[in-house]
Amino acid sequence: MQPTSLGPNMTGATLAPAALAAMTQATDELTPFDEIDTSEMESQKLAYIDESDAVGSIPVPTTLKGVAKSGLSKLQGKHPGVFLDKLGERLAYERTGVRLYDALILKYESAAQLDQGDVLPAVLLEGPDGQARSPETAEALLHRIRGEELEHFQLITQAIVKMGGDPTCMTPCADVTALASSGFMQVLNDPRTTLAQCLNAMLAVELADNAGWELLATLADDMGEGDLAGQFLGALAQEQEHLLIVKQWLTGLVVEDPKPAAV
Amino acid sequence: MAINLFTDRGVSLDRQKFTWKELVQNPISKLDDEAFTRVRVILMNGVELDSLRMKQVMLRTNGPLREPIAKLMRTEQHQATLINWLIGADHSPIETTIGYEQTAIEVTASVAQLEADPYLAQGYRYALLEDFDHLYRYSALLDRLEGKDANNITQGHTDIIPARPTMVHHRAPEHELLRPYERTATLATKLHALTLTGGEYQTHDYYMNIGPLFTDPMARQLYAEIASIESQHITHYGSMINPDELPLEKMLLQEACEVWNYSACLEQETNPRIKAIWERFLDYELGHLQVVMELCKSQGIDPAELLGDGQLPAPIVFKSHREYLREVIANETQLRKNGTEFVDAAQEGETSLLYREQMNSEGSPSETVSATYRWSAGTELARPPLRRVA
Repeated sequence: MQPTSLGPNMTGATLAPAALAAMTQATDELTPFDEIDTSEMESQKLAYIDESDAVGSIPVPTTLKGVAKSGLSKLQGKHPGVFLDKLGERLAYERTGVRLYDALILKYESAAQLDQGDVLPAVLLEGPDGQARSPETAEALLHRIRGEELEHFQLITQAIVKMGGDPTCMTPCADVTALASSGFMQVLNDPRTTLAQCLNAMLAVELADNAGWELLATLADDMGEGDLAGQFLGALAQEQEHLLIVKQWLTGLVVEDPKPAAV
Repeated sequence: MAINLFTDRGVSLDRQKFTWKELVQNPISKLDDEAFTRVRVILMNGVELDSLRMKQVMLRTNGPLREPIAKLMRTEQHQATLINWLIGADHSPIETTIGYEQTAIEVTASVAQLEADPYLAQGYRYALLEDFDHLYRYSALLDRLEGKDANNITQGHTDIIPARPTMVHHRAPEHELLRPYERTATLATKLHALTLTGGEYQTHDYYMNIGPLFTDPMARQLYAEIASIESQHITHYGSMINPDELPLEKMLLQEACEVWNYSACLEQETNPRIKAIWERFLDYELGHLQVVMELCKSQGIDPAELLGDGQLPAPIVFKSHREYLREVIANETQLRKNGTEFVDAAQEGETSLLYREQMNSEGSPSETVSATYRWSAGTELARPPLRRVA
C-alpha cells in the first residue's frame, strides 16, 4: 500500500489534445448524427423483465412449532415470507460485515506501522447516560465493532430459528444484497487501496446496515414480535455508533489531519 | 540486441522455476500505466494460452513426446498466469473487454502492414474492421451500463467509431475459411497467423467466461453475439495456417512465435517492472525453442528449414495506427466473404445471408445497444448538444 499522490494518470482525454481532436473529428465524420435514443434497448430490457423468473424462493419454515409460535401463522393478509427473507438478508450482511472488518483491521495495522503513530483520530462517543465515554484506541474500537457485527449475526441466527426458519439458507434478499455489496469486499481486500479508501467503502456499508436494521425492527414490530423488535433496536443503536465512528475516522483522515500513509 | 533463434539459447527448461508469490505480482495500474502496456499483457496471455492449447492437442496425439510436452506446458501455464494476473481487479469486465478490442485493433493493424502476402494482408484488414466495430459497440455498452468512458482505457490511441457493422459479421462457416499459407511461406507470415489466432482464441474464451457474469440481458446478448464472431475469427485466422505442417513443425513455429512476440514487447515496454518480465520470459522461450529444436532433430526435421538463418522478422509495432485504420475503413468496410475470397457486398455468399437473417431475426444486440451512440469525451452524458454544420 502506498499513499495516494499526484502522478502520471493516463486516463484523461485532455492529456493528449491531438488525439482528442482526431477522435472527435472521426466521430463527427463517421458516427450517425442523431439525438440519443435508447428506446429499443429499453423496450427489450422491459420484455426481459416481464418474462424473467425470480432470483429464487424464500425457504419454507422448517419447524411447525416455530411457525405456530411465531407471528408467521397470524398474518394471513400480509406476506410473512418477507420477514424471513429480510432476516436472511441481515444475517448474511452481518456475517460478511465481520469479514469486511477483518480486512479493515489489516489495512489499519499496515497504515499504523507505516505512519508510526495514531493513524486514526480519537473519536468522541457518549455512553447510555449521555456522558462522554473514556476514549478507546482505534485498534480496540475496530475489534469491538468486529465483535458486535458477529453478535448481530448470532442474534439474527437465533431469531430465524425462533421463527421456524433455517439460518443456513441463502434467501433471495440475502443473495441480491450480497451481489450489491460485492464491490466492498474487492475494495477492502485490494492491497493497493488506502485506509481512507477502505473507510469510504465502510461508510456505505454502515449506512446501508443502519437502514437495514431500522427496517427489520419495524417489520418485527409489525409481525407482533415485540421482543425481537427490541433486540433489533439494540443492534441498531450499536450500528449507529459504528456509523458515527467510521464517519469521524474518515473525516479526520481526509479533512482534519491527513496521514500520508493512509490517505 | 538482435536475437538469433539458433545461437541465443536463453534459460534451459530445467532452470525455469516459479513460486506462487511470483505468479501473483502487483498488477499494472489501470490509471497510470500506458495503454500499450495493457495491450502487451493481453496479447502475451493469448499467445501463451494458444501455445498451451496446441501442446495439449499434441499430448493427446503423440505418445513418445508426452513427457517433454508436459514439462514445457508446466512452465507455460505459469507464464500465462503471471501475465494474466497483471490485469488489476479494478478493471470491470467491460473495461478489460475494451482493452482486448484495442489489442485486437492495434496489433492486427501492425501485422496487416508487416504481412508481405497481399491475400493474407487482406485477411488481416478484413477481420480488423470487425474488431474495430466491436470496440464501438462495447464502448456504448460501457457508457450506457456503467456510465464510463472507454477512452479512459484506450487513452486516445484508438478511434471509437463504427466500421463494418457487427450485425453483418455473422457468416456461414463455409465462408469463414481462407486459403492457407504455403509450406514455403516466410517465417514472418507464419508467425503473424499464429499470433492472431492465439489472440482471437483468448478473446473468444474471455467473452465466453464473462458473458454470463452480467445481470443485464442486453450485455449478455452483446457478449453472446461478439463471442460468436470471435469464434469465426479463430476459424478465419486459424485457416491461414498450413494444415500440412507436421505437428512438431507447428510446435517449433509456436515457440518461435513466442520468442518473436516477447522480443517485441521487451523492445517497446515503458514500465521497467513489466519489461523485466518480458526479458525473463524471452529467455524462457529461447530455452523452450532449444528443447523443441532437439525434438525436431530427433524426428529428422531440420529446424533451419522453418527458421531460416534464425533472424527474427520485423516486430509488431505497439502504437496507434489511426491513419492506417482510417484508410482501411474508408476503402474496405463494404467488403464481404464468398468462400475464401473477399468480395463486394453484392457478391457475398448466399448462405451467410440466410444464416445472418436467422440470427438477427429477433433483433441485433450490437445495433440495439449502440443505437445513436457517438463517443464523446467523458461519456455520452457529457456530450454537447448536436449542432448540424450547414
